[in-house]
Amino acid sequence: MASAIRDGEPTTAEERANNLYQKGSEAPQGTIFFQRDLHNMQVAESLADLLNLIGILVGQHLFKPMTFENEPCWEVRSRDEADKLRRLTPDERLLYHHIEQVGSEGVWSKALRNRTNVTQQVMNKCLKNLESKELVQSVMSVKFPNRKMYLLKHLIPSEDIAGGPWQSDGEFDAPLIEIVTSLIHQYVEKETSVHVPGDWNDWVAHDRAAAIAKKRTQVQVSDIEDTPLPSYRPPRSRSHFVPRADPRYPTIQSIRKFIVDSNIIRERKVRDEDIEQLLDVMVLEGRLEKMKGKSYRTPPGTKNTDSFNGFVDAPCGTCPVFDQCMDEGPISARTCVYFGEWLGTESDVIHRVVSF
Amino acid sequence: MSYSQRESPILGTLCERLVQDQYGELAARVFSIFARYGRQTLAALTRASYLNGRQIKHGLVVLIQQHLIFHSSADPRATSYEVDWAQAYALVRYGKISVLVENRMGKEAANVVSNLLSLGHTRVADLKEAYFPSHKASAANGEANGLANGAVAGPKANGVKLNGTTPKTNGAVEIPSELDDAKLAVATLTNGDAPTENGTANGTPEMNGNKKRPISEATKSNGIESKEAKTSQEAQMVDGANEIKSVDDLERVLERLIDRGWVVQVDETHYLSPGDAHILAREQVMDESYQGSLPSGTKAKEMMNQQILERKREIRDDALKKPHFVASKRAAPDNSPPQANKRTKLNNGETAIAIPGMVPAQPTSQSQDRIVLRVNLEKVAVAMRTDALVRLVEQRLGHVTAECYKIMLYHLERHIPRCWDELEGEIVPFNADLTDPRFRTTSQNVAKKLDRKIDVFEGLDPATVVKEVGRNSKVDSKNRVHPPLHPHKISLDIKAKIVDKHINMLAEDPLRFVTWVSRNGVNEWTVQFDEISKAFVQAEIEKTIEARKGPLGVKLVRALKKKGKLDERQTSIAMMMSATEIRGVVNDLAVQGYVQTQEIPKVDRREAKLTMIYTWYDIQRAREKLLHDTYKGMVRILQRLEFESKQRETLLRKAERSDVVGNETKWLSKFELEKLKEWRDIEEKLLLQLEREDEVVAVVRDFVRPMLSI
Ligand code: SF4
Repeated sequence: MASAIRDGEPTTAEERANNLYQKGSEAPQGTIFFQRDLHNMQVAESLADLLNLIGILVGQHLFKPMTFENEPCWEVRSRDEADKLRRLTPDERLLYHHIEQVGSEGVWSKALRNRTNVTQQVMNKCLKNLESKELVQSVMSVKFPNRKMYLLKHLIPSEDIAGGPWQSDGEFDAPLIEIVTSLIHQYVEKETSVHVPGDWNDWVAHDRAAAIAKKRTQVQVSDIEDTPLPSYRPPRSRSHFVPRADPRYPTIQSIRKFIVDSNIIRERKVRDEDIEQLLDVMVLEGRLEKMKGKSYRTPPGTKNTDSFNGFVDAPCGTCPVFDQCMDEGPISARTCVYFGEWLGTESDVIHRVVSF
Repeated sequence: MSYSQRESPILGTLCERLVQDQYGELAARVFSIFARYGRQTLAALTRASYLNGRQIKHGLVVLIQQHLIFHSSADPRATSYEVDWAQAYALVRYGKISVLVENRMGKEAANVVSNLLSLGHTRVADLKEAYFPSHKASAANGEANGLANGAVAGPKANGVKLNGTTPKTNGAVEIPSELDDAKLAVATLTNGDAPTENGTANGTPEMNGNKKRPISEATKSNGIESKEAKTSQEAQMVDGANEIKSVDDLERVLERLIDRGWVVQVDETHYLSPGDAHILAREQVMDESYQGSLPSGTKAKEMMNQQILERKREIRDDALKKPHFVASKRAAPDNSPPQANKRTKLNNGETAIAIPGMVPAQPTSQSQDRIVLRVNLEKVAVAMRTDALVRLVEQRLGHVTAECYKIMLYHLERHIPRCWDELEGEIVPFNADLTDPRFRTTSQNVAKKLDRKIDVFEGLDPATVVKEVGRNSKVDSKNRVHPPLHPHKISLDIKAKIVDKHINMLAEDPLRFVTWVSRNGVNEWTVQFDEISKAFVQAEIEKTIEARKGPLGVKLVRALKKKGKLDERQTSIAMMMSATEIRGVVNDLAVQGYVQTQEIPKVDRREAKLTMIYTWYDIQRAREKLLHDTYKGMVRILQRLEFESKQRETLLRKAERSDVVGNETKWLSKFELEKLKEWRDIEEKLLLQLEREDEVVAVVRDFVRPMLSI
């Protein structure tokens, strides 16, 4: 039409199709073209011509036909990809189309078979070929750990099936998580608390006792009765962490920056959400505490692990037969071995009547 | 139904034991009938029991005396009786209560409280009499007392009270008339027994005996004798330091106790169970506003419910009004000088307290003597909450910060009558009213009251200390201060600044131990108890789970608390762990009742593979489970204690003999002494544990209202 006439160059359908493909691939990758978009490119001479050109491109796999709300539309494929596709068997191509449709969500092999109706052997063979041609990839689903999901090779599997950077092969990468969380812990601890030695303010020793001792050695007097009583000082605590006077409570962003800069995770992108996920778990584990405004600190104080509360510190609190224990009978306070151990006393021995 | 009256069978068992330990077999048997069958009339009680009428009446009188049983004569045909669970459980706290009072108000006050506890409801006159027996004796005690030879000993003080014949509005203990014969009989019985058991009693105030043990008895023979044995043992424990030396002393102590809400006047409504109190309030509201008939329409009914609630509150608050109680002679100012000022500030209806220098009409000492007093258990819970919070802060932020917090809480606590109000209309948290100066405090205040021996620098960042106290000191790279700073050589101003740093740590904490309120540019602080108390309940549950299932269990519960109901996969994502690692803990905790699970089949067959399993955590359910478990743990401790003492029966009998007590080394062999020591250690260990279990009960039951289930 207009363009062809304006250019004044009679072109073959091939060339025009090529032209159309060119214009389409100039748009950002993944753009979807409707008929009017392609028409507006002013390559085709008429509507019929346009449909013809589209037909050619689809045939060469350079255009990927789709529908959007019942309206036909197309997406541009790379030449590479199109080349590979051209060399596929019909079965392979069929599977490829289905896999392509699901995008980064992936499709379960069983679902794929249901949709395509090919036999198991054919499918296995085709999928193998597709994988070796680097057209599709398979990943284990995180959601359903024993499902193999297929998606196109160049796509990044969605969170749903692959999980974030803390997962590999559908499992949480415990060693990696441990490394990263302890790094975070150290970092947050440094920013929010100070380590204080037990004798940080040694005021008796230096203030008086030491001075006196010094003086005494100078004067060479060692009369014990003359020694003044040191002023009272409560027992010194051991070294401990105290909250910083000027805490810089780290945030998700600053922690992410710290982790990215530390370079321990190279292959994968770490987003704020991924860090937040980790921090949430650290809060659950009591390794961090959430402060106002989504910032974090390490909990102060020392955790006492041999005393919990009055109930569980007594034998019954953690007793394996707590629910079976009665006021009287074979399992009761008087026959209880746990109480016996705890108090260092003897319990009643139950002489059971053997009745079988 | 009232929250405190929802008993469970295990609580029944526990209280029955406590009653038995304190008041003997007979009272315990009667109590157990009520515990098992609920509300009863005397006739029904007699039918349900093997005891004869006389025994039942005796038991009942003792229980009523100690306020363990409510009674109501709303139905004119027969009086109904019902267990007061709060009071019955509180038996386990009696020892603790006097310690709480001692820490706050000194030994004298603790002594008075502990005697009030052992006497039950007591008229002021009788309390005076018990401390300072008048040998004329009969003036206050009515004719029945002719049987007694002067109210010298503890058990007789009981007798005295039972014989009170003053009219019911101000009578010592209101006991239904159907039990009249028993009153007399019990009195006779007690008095009759007394001389033999109290041969050593010599008219000096034995009431000064100070009970330290959680359950104030070391020995457990059965029946009423054990009571006497115990009391005579107490007589041995007279401690000069906490003696009340004169009637004036006693009055002064009582006045302070009443002023701070530890001791309240007994009102006849106190004998009503919550159910009866409700009926009473309902009838009053109906008569006054609805011409005695039920209104129709949901709106009107809702309105009436609100009115009833309000009326119940009024009735309660009326009863708790501080009585006209003034020490007849003002003693030298007690150890809390600001008190006088504070009182003048109050203007909120607490009319009847003493205002020094401007007492309009001194109530006559006689009308004052007729006031009946008892210890206020709601206040006890408030004090236990304070102590528990201080312990928590000590563990998190260190000793010194905890000491500062303690001073703040002691200050606030004086004006807090209860942890939460069951009769609150809508669920609004009982938080300190931020505009009320009584619920605020400043760092100056804390600095002033802080024990001078305390090193206020401890627990702070050295940099802070140097900045505030500075002079020429520096902090080195290892965080040591050179030259060291002496914490006792600072001005009060500096000290207040340092204290402020401690308080800041309390405020910064995610648990929000204190809340900042500013007035006139001065930093003031208050405490919002409700939120902290909820966190406290959660922490107690977590500690239990941690002891049982380790950190993984705690992590699971926290994840569920945060995210709500989750299936296996979601749980695994929330905890960033594989589902198989978690499954075991979920199962165990579900079996123990701390998390809930639900299975939803995806198809109509019930196949494990095709079933979704949801897990969730409901804090209120877990809380009740922990409470129940703890009650059970306490029962087991008491049972073991009984067992251990039975194992040593012969020895203990011997050690309890009145000629042996106090002369153990003379009468017991070396082996026996060793065994006795061993027994005391066992007993102490068990009773200490019991007390600590009670602390768990306090946290999960008493500090905060029931929480909404999800
Ligand atoms: S008494 Fe012994 S058997 Fe019974 S619950 Fe306690 S520890 Fe377990």
